[in-house]
Amino acid sequence: MRQLVKKEFTLAAAPLTYVFLAFALMTMIPGYPILMCGFFICLGILYTFQFSREYNDVLYTALLPVRKRDVVRARYIFVVCVQLAGVLLCGLLTLLRMTALGEASAYRTNPLMNANPAFLGYLLAMMALFNILFLGGFYKTAYYYGKPFILFCAAAFVVVGLGETLHHFPGMEWLNAVEGDGVFRQSVVLLGGAVLFAAGTLLSLKRSEQRFEKLDL
Amino acid sequence: MEQVLRIRNLCKKYPGFQLQDVSFAVEKGMIMGFIGRNGAGKTTTLKSVMKLVHPDSGEISFFGLEPGEKEQEIKRRIGYAAGGISYYHRKKTEEIVRVTKTFYPGWDETACRHYMEKFSLEPGKRLRELSEGMKVKFNLMLALSHGAEFLILDEPTSGLDPVSREELLEIFLDLAASGVSILFSTHITSDLDKCADAITYIQKGQILASERTGAFLERYRLAAVPGELTSAQRELALGVRRCKEGRTALILKEQEELFRGLRGNGSDSSVPRGIQVMPADLEAVMVHLEGGVDQHEAIG
Repeated sequence: MRQLVKKEFTLAAAPLTYVFLAFALMTMIPGYPILMCGFFICLGILYTFQFSREYNDVLYTALLPVRKRDVVRARYIFVVCVQLAGVLLCGLLTLLRMTALGEASAYRTNPLMNANPAFLGYLLAMMALFNILFLGGFYKTAYYYGKPFILFCAAAFVVVGLGETLHHFPGMEWLNAVEGDGVFRQSVVLLGGAVLFAAGTLLSLKRSEQRFEKLDL
Repeated sequence: MEQVLRIRNLCKKYPGFQLQDVSFAVEKGMIMGFIGRNGAGKTTTLKSVMKLVHPDSGEISFFGLEPGEKEQEIKRRIGYAAGGISYYHRKKTEEIVRVTKTFYPGWDETACRHYMEKFSLEPGKRLRELSEGMKVKFNLMLALSHGAEFLILDEPTSGLDPVSREELLEIFLDLAASGVSILFSTHITSDLDKCADAITYIQKGQILASERTGAFLERYRLAAVPGELTSAQRELALGVRRCKEGRTALILKEQEELFRGLRGNGSDSSVPRGIQVMPADLEAVMVHLEGGVDQHEAIG
C-alpha cells in the first residue's frame, strides 16, 4: 500500500493539484466568498484524474501485483491528503485572521463569510461532497469524470450559498462570529463537517472498492 | 510439457459480441501467436487472462496453480504490454522504473541495466519522446527486470515499421531461447511465420485452432485457379479470394486431388485449367478463412 500511495504522489499526481493548494490563500481575501477556495482545491484534484486517464494510470496500476481494492484506496488516500493539506492551510490562515489580524478593519467590516471554525466546518463538508459525489461517481467507470464533477459543482455551490446566507438569518449571526461565545458554538459546525468528511469518505471508499472490483477495464 | 497458461471454456458476452468457450494452453518456453482479424476477441481474451475483464465463465490458471490462487505472485511472474498503450508518457523512463521496481521484491537491477542498454533506452528520456517500438521495448524491459517468465503481449508489433518489427521479433526469439514463454496477439501473420512455435486462431469469439504452426499449416493447401471456380470447387473451398490471374482457394490437404479433378460442364471457356496447388502460409490461411466463399460467383 505504501508503494501505491507513493506512486500516486510521484507518478499519477498532476502538478496543478499541488499548485491549486495555493487557493487556500483565498482565505485571506476580505469581502470574498472564501469558501470558494475549497472548490478550487477540489478542482486541482480533478486535474490528477485528467492526467491519470491520459497516462493510462488505472491500467498500469491494475497490472501491478497489488490487490484491486488497494488501487482505489491509494487514490483516496492521495485525495484525502491533498484535501487535509488544504484544510490545514486554511486553518492556519483562519487562525491568523482571528488573532494577529483580528482587528484589521477589512476583516471587521466583512459582509461575507468570516474565516472562523464554521468556515472550516463548511470546507470539510464540501470536501466530503467531493469524495462522495466525484470520487464515488468516478469509480462507477474508472474513466468518466465529467458528470461526477458537475454534480460536485452543483453541491459545492449549494454549500457556498448556505454558508454565505445562513449567518444573515436572525439568531444565526453567531455563525459569522470571530470572537466570543459564537466561536465556541461554531465548533459544532466544525465537528459536524469533520464527521461528514470522515464518514462520507469511508462510505464512498467502500462503495468505490466494490465497484472497481467488478469493473471491466 | 509444463504449461504456463491454461484457459478453459472462457466465455464473455457483450452486446453484439461474445467469446465462446475459448480454450487453449501455452507451454513453457513457447512463443504462441494469437491471431484473428480486428474485433475477433484477441484483446478481450488477453484482458480476461490479466483479470482486467471479468469473464462470465471459464477457468484461467497460470504455472499449474489453481485458478484464482496466489494472484499477486502470478502477477510478479508475468509481464503484460499492449502495443499503442504507454503509461505516464510525460514522465522520464527512469522515474517510471524507480516507482515500478518498488512493487517487485525480485527486481533485478543488473537485468534492468542490461535491457536498458540492449534496447537503447535512455533513462532521461520521456516516454512521449520514444517511438512506438521503443515504448514496447520499454514495457518489455520492465517485465524482464522483474523476472517475468511469461509475457503476454497484445499487438506489440502493430504500428511498427518493418525494421522495428523485425527487431522485436528477434528479441522474442532470444527471450524464448532463454526460457521465457510468450503469448502475443497480432493480425500481422508474417510476424508469426518468423517466430511462432504455435498459433491460436480466434474467429468471431471462437477458437478455430490452437496447435503447432507447422501442423496447422500442413492441414491446408492453396490452389491458384486461372479464371472462375466451378460451383463444386467452391463448395469444397474453405475460402476463395480474387487475384490477378483468377482465383485462389484454400482447401484441405486431403481434398487436393478431389479439387483438381472437379470440372465444370465443359460449355464454358472459363472452366479452370492448369490449377496450381501449393502449401499455404498463415496469411493465406487467414485471409481465405476470413473471406469465406461466395457461391454466387461460381460457374458450371
